[in-house]
Amino acid sequence: MDETVAEFFRRTILKIPMTEMMTILKAWNFLSENQLQTVNFRQRKESLVQDLVLLCQEKHASLNDAALLDIVYTQFHRHQKVWDVFQMSKGAGGDTDLFDMEQFKNSFKKILQRALKNVTVSFRDAEENAVWIRIAWGTQYRKPNQYKPAYVVYYSQTPYAFTSSSQLKSNLPLLAQTFETHNSTTPLQERSLGLDINMDSRIIHENKIEKERVQRVTQEIFGDYPQPRLEFAQYKLETKFKSDLNGGILADREEPLRCLVKFSSPHLLEALKSLAPAGIADAPLSPLLTCIPNKGMNYFKIRDK
Amino acid sequence: MDSYDAAESTPRQSASLKLKDYFIGTTPLQKRLESVRKQTSFVRTPPRRKIPQCSQQQEDVDPQKVAFLLHKQWTLYSLTPLYKFSYSNFKEYSKLLNAFIAAEKQKGLAVEVGDDFNIKVIFSTLLGMKGTQKDPEAFLVQILSKSQLPSEHREGKVLWTGWFCCIFGDSLLETVSEDFTCLPLFLANGAETNTAIIGTWFQKTFDCYFRPLAINAFNLSWMAAMWTACKMDRYMATTEFLWSVPCSPQSLDISYAIHPEDAKALWDSVHKTPGEVTQEEVDLFMDCLYSHFHRHFKIHLSATRLVRVSTSVAAAHTDGRIKILCHKYLIGVLAYLTELAVFQIE
Repeated sequence: MDETVAEFFRRTILKIPMTEMMTILKAWNFLSENQLQTVNFRQRKESLVQDLVLLCQEKHASLNDAALLDIVYTQFHRHQKVWDVFQMSKGAGGDTDLFDMEQFKNSFKKILQRALKNVTVSFRDAEENAVWIRIAWGTQYRKPNQYKPAYVVYYSQTPYAFTSSSQLKSNLPLLAQTFETHNSTTPLQERSLGLDINMDSRIIHENKIEKERVQRVTQEIFGDYPQPRLEFAQYKLETKFKSDLNGGILADREEPLRCLVKFSSPHLLEALKSLAPAGIADAPLSPLLTCIPNKGMNYFKIRDK
Repeated sequence: MDSYDAAESTPRQSASLKLKDYFIGTTPLQKRLESVRKQTSFVRTPPRRKIPQCSQQQEDVDPQKVAFLLHKQWTLYSLTPLYKFSYSNFKEYSKLLNAFIAAEKQKGLAVEVGDDFNIKVIFSTLLGMKGTQKDPEAFLVQILSKSQLPSEHREGKVLWTGWFCCIFGDSLLETVSEDFTCLPLFLANGAETNTAIIGTWFQKTFDCYFRPLAINAFNLSWMAAMWTACKMDRYMATTEFLWSVPCSPQSLDISYAIHPEDAKALWDSVHKTPGEVTQEEVDLFMDCLYSHFHRHFKIHLSATRLVRVSTSVAAAHTDGRIKILCHKYLIGVLAYLTELAVFQIE
């Protein structure tokens, strides 16, 4: 067995927690029951791993088998990864094509291998018509890096695919193409949270321009990513009452109104972000609220200048 | 300490245009809320009410006797008239209710940890709890624990209290015959299970019906205005409002507290009709609070749900809970609640 493959095996098995070792090896289904019984699972982990790697060598395990083991491990630890969701939109007049999993895998692999010289693509079927795809990327001159793979989980009966990897962003268009070529649908689109495409032409959006402006302004202020988690903000206000419309109310009063305002929520900043799009607040939201992450404060005393 | 110049915060549009938009209701949600509000004010509820005064009757009531009613949280219910109820049968009622509770508890219903079956039920009259002479007498039902040890006080601890009253219930009293006793407002303090048992007994015995009395935002605003209008020698609590914002997926609560003297100053500036509170004044009072808030935070509180108001006179929660803090205006607060209860019954 190749040195690098042996090392890959060693590192992959080493990742697995002792409590899950048997379960994952069984799920991998490469080493037989008999073979597993010959190994002492009570010894120190380093020694156990050595024994297992030897077994794999004896059985002539390939790089692909190692990749499969990596997929199994990741399936058990999917919650430790951050996944992006993609939705495929069908072109006009598209109906549900009959889906052939084998054909899909073949063409997927072929397309990637044609486009990139050095790439390892592995598949493992999972529950509910899902397929887990593991992709290890290389470059023109370098072999694929097995330690930074990307995962794509595609649920074949749905238009959804999940991806996980930081390296993926640059290769996204290529992935999109692979789906497109196979499914003959329009390219993958990141699911947009915001204005829905009109399903029924009889339903129109009032204030469309204003709605779009509010979305844009809110996004400029809050950004695309989740807000820092905060539960509480408090403002002590000592400001004069001013009102142009309610003419004359408290007009002669010199003293300010002494107020204490408290905002509380399980996720305050996300709640504030949703106010303008919901029509409950103006956009842009008051700087008193939007300055919280920048200033790193959530207790304020506000006075008239 | 953070300084912030409010004047410089005005957006590109002029301030007056902003407020105009706010009043008209730019978003569909606000428009809907405006119309709902107008609807509620059109049906039944009067456009003006008297500011609670400390009546002569009230002065006669011994503050010590009613002290136990204050500073307690009461859950509110409306109650339809009681059929063939008699104030002279209190002893009988105590016995029957006692037996009923014991039976229910033995059935395994409403089991409470640490509950002992040594309880005593007492009916008593609450003198002076009325608006006019025509109002029936208010009465009280209490569940006390009978203490085990002979050395302890005979009376034992009060586990549950419920009282029935009718303050200025003229509109209801006129509609019922002699056989009925009208006490439309019921207040309960103590375990919910006990309230349920007592309620069941009353419903079976007097053919009446309890319903939880919720207080909507419209009435909460009225209460806030009326209680701010009450003359107080000194303020015991800050004036506070709590709004719940219907944004998803996270809930958001906004608490807005204003110094009671400032709230009073604002009210005095709004108030025009002596001795009375009008709809316009309530609206204006709330609008001033909303616009002061909007000026700072750009959030339209009127598009959210008012859930709780709290003043030195009393605190009310939309789920139908009340806490009365000032004995001087006890009758005034109860009068408003009786009105809501009667409205719910009719």
